[in-house]
Amino acid sequence: MTVADTYQTDPVTGGPDGGIMRRLNVGTGILGGVVLALAANLLADWLAGDAVHEVDVRATATMVGWAVGFMAGLGAFTGPVRWLLGRDLTHADELFLAGKDQGEGRYFRFTTDHKVVGIQYLVLTMVMLGAGGTMAMLIRTDLISPNSGFLGPQTYNSLVGLHGLTMILATIIMVTGPFGNFVVPLMIGARDMAFPRLNALSLWLLFAMLPVLYSAAFLGGIPMGWVGYTPIADQGPAGVDSYMVAILIFAVSTAVAGANITTTILTMRARGMTWTRTPIFVYGVLASVVLALPAFPMFMAAEILLLVDRLMGGGFYIPSLGGQPWLYQNLFWLMGHPEVYVILIPAVTALMELTAVFARKPLYSFRIAVLSIIAIVGLSVTVWAHHMFASGWAPDLNGPFMLTTELISIPTGGLFLVILGTLWRGRIWATFPMMCTYAMLWNFIIGGITGIYLSDVPLDYQLHGSMFVTAHFHYTLMGAGLTGAIGALAYWFPKMTGRMLGDTPGLVSFWLVQIGFNVTFLGMFMVGLEGQPRRVVHYGASLHTGNLISTIGAYFIGVGMLVLLYDVVASWRHGKPASMNPWGAKTLEWTVPNPIPLENFAVLPVVTEDAYGYGEPVRDAPARAPAPVAAGAGPGQGPGQGGGTGEEART
Amino acid sequence: MRRLLGPALTILLGAAFVALIGWLLHQQPSPAAVAVPHQGAADSHHVYLHLATYPDSMAGEHGKDGGAEPDWVSYGPTTTLNVPRHSLVTVTISQYDGGEAITNPWFARVHGTVGGSETVDGKTVTGVDPEAVGHTFTIHAAPTAQDPLFVSVPLPAVPDEAPPAAGSDYPKPIEVTFSFRTKGPGKYVWNCEFPCGDGTYAKFGGPMSTRGYMSGTLTVT
Ligand code: HEM
Ligand SMILES: [Cu+2]
Ligand SMILES: [Cu+2]
Repeated sequence: MTVADTYQTDPVTGGPDGGIMRRLNVGTGILGGVVLALAANLLADWLAGDAVHEVDVRATATMVGWAVGFMAGLGAFTGPVRWLLGRDLTHADELFLAGKDQGEGRYFRFTTDHKVVGIQYLVLTMVMLGAGGTMAMLIRTDLISPNSGFLGPQTYNSLVGLHGLTMILATIIMVTGPFGNFVVPLMIGARDMAFPRLNALSLWLLFAMLPVLYSAAFLGGIPMGWVGYTPIADQGPAGVDSYMVAILIFAVSTAVAGANITTTILTMRARGMTWTRTPIFVYGVLASVVLALPAFPMFMAAEILLLVDRLMGGGFYIPSLGGQPWLYQNLFWLMGHPEVYVILIPAVTALMELTAVFARKPLYSFRIAVLSIIAIVGLSVTVWAHHMFASGWAPDLNGPFMLTTELISIPTGGLFLVILGTLWRGRIWATFPMMCTYAMLWNFIIGGITGIYLSDVPLDYQLHGSMFVTAHFHYTLMGAGLTGAIGALAYWFPKMTGRMLGDTPGLVSFWLVQIGFNVTFLGMFMVGLEGQPRRVVHYGASLHTGNLISTIGAYFIGVGMLVLLYDVVASWRHGKPASMNPWGAKTLEWTVPNPIPLENFAVLPVVTEDAYGYGEPVRDAPARAPAPVAAGAGPGQGPGQGGGTGEEART
Repeated sequence: MRRLLGPALTILLGAAFVALIGWLLHQQPSPAAVAVPHQGAADSHHVYLHLATYPDSMAGEHGKDGGAEPDWVSYGPTTTLNVPRHSLVTVTISQYDGGEAITNPWFARVHGTVGGSETVDGKTVTGVDPEAVGHTFTIHAAPTAQDPLFVSVPLPAVPDEAPPAAGSDYPKPIEVTFSFRTKGPGKYVWNCEFPCGDGTYAKFGGPMSTRGYMSGTLTVT
């Protein structure tokens, strides 16, 4: 039974079709947002006109007003409101919400179809990465010489903070957003997500968040950097209010998305898809959102306390009022370290998924992969204070935190071994996505091992706060995480857009980005070891060469990313049409035709084997049975086009 | 050739976009990182404050029995200070307490006073031995609309072996004197930057994190 069926057979709740909801879209959303923002601003002025914290109260009220107004104007609350009024959505309304027969317009509405949401997430992520990348280029341009004076110190610090925050938020959503939404329901043989409306809600909240976040640039910036540390956050300009409100919206979005994805994966897997037959990418997405579910509320709580401090004269973080900045640091890193695995795990498991396909081998030791993921999820909530070794908080706990931090590298190594084992003696098809696996292995070795150095307390006292740390986490977040997401994009692009991504520009971009990346951040390790601090615009003349090297490398990354952008846009518009299963993969998402019908599967599939049956003789009997899923039902599709291997095991 | 056109154009557009944003940010005047205090015109007042630092709480604002925490180090006679605007403020602190090495030697130097110095028992200095600091007296301003004010002076430690002075439970104090100028009205906080609290939070607990012992307010009226 599908969601749609429920509504069809429930005559009591149905009201009349249609209504205002059919006329709402992102335009009415922006209108609603602006109107409510103005109203909230005036109201705050009236209520708190001469309070000490007037500026912050007004700024915060305006931003919250914008977000609520935008969501209302977009129609995000139509369903619940109509339900409250006793005129629940009709079946036709549900289909309208799902975007049926609406062409391109559905991408600009509160559309519930998981495929639409996945594409929206993809575009949103690309926009955010573009914004963060632009800032990165400016940062590196400023650091081209010891005292370039291109940007002043305050502009520079705000830029570094906004770059960091933009990139962290983008990398958190970059895999679970686009691919978790578009691919996972297909991969587990479901018709949609468990809560399609929450799905749309989680996406559009992020859209509402972006203007709030970037308003910081006009409100004095975020001088405390991406971590938002107090006491500067307590004292900073109204830009800090932008930071707080943006994080609050983001936390709601991830909570909603996390609950939705978790429920979907736990309850909606196809019949026969037991846990041992569930593809590793599904585990990765599940681990990521399950980890985010307890982690992000910590961040949210941290910002709520900050809000009380800044708006109402509370003193949670102000020592002279009995408060404690360490409280902020603890709450932040209780989110912050799990978060790095929220980012990493889905990216690595996407690469595992495609490595098995391109090596034409079963995933090596599926169980170690699963156990490693579970161990990482468990351990990752026990290591947060390695970010606070040098802060003076709980010196007695430095040893235990060093131990847990070093322990976590063991299951992380497990993930490495699984990929290496899968490659071992595989028949490798070196496509662009596959190259991303190699790059990830190289980069993540460097990122992971420098992480082990940093977890050593005495060494961390030396390196903390230096560019060495910056280089470490770029190797992990960008070198491993973002590379994995790019691999995932290249791999699933044919299914998501119906067209092939150009391989040649893809590989040109790959080499530009990867060489540029290693040049940039090896240079940064160098100057970090020589003592260049983070977040400082001027540096000593002796560090010039290393910084120049980093800047040149960064320009290579920039050019490479633009080539990739060109490749994506050009291929999306007029790339080679993709067959149903161009890579000859065995997971369920490749059994649906292009373009994918609204309900995904005509008949829900039943799974009889794991997804990695490569290297076994092709059997007579179908490996994975009843997919009367019209293979070849889509226009121009046919089984004959499926990949270069002739393996059509499931038809 | 044609195949290179698209990527080349994308790269050019991307570079142009980065350049545009960079140019916009470059136009933004960025104030200097540290504001240099501006010495005002002729002062209308000259006021004097006399404070003391004690190794316990028996002599300050907590009453003769020392209040709830008689063993905590404290400033006295009060931690709530009021001074007039546009004035010269001369502070004398009688320092009765011992001390140790300070965590951050920057606070063993004098900052923000008239002449950048203090006198220690009559001798003018710009800093004290970071290995023997008792407390500091450090006034901060939050970066709000009010005039910035930052003054920090170290108070040297009384040697451990110093005997109690005649008729007193405390040894003879070290007298530290310094002056600073106030500007417009505002509310400021001051505190000690030498971790002299109890064991929690690396000696930042107890008197360091409770109002009325090692911190207070300075109101410029
Ligand atoms: C999963 C991939 C990883 C990611 C995404 C990651 C990310 C980060 C980030 C973002 C920071 C800096 C935060 C900041 O101060 O702004 C950081 C610092 C740190 N990382 Fe990692 N990390 C990863 C893996 C590891 C591993 C495997 C270890 C140790 C075994 C490790 C140990 C550390 C330590 C000790 C610090 C603190 C350094 C300092 O601030 O002095 N990390 N990491
Ligand atoms: Cu960490
Ligand atoms: Cu003290």
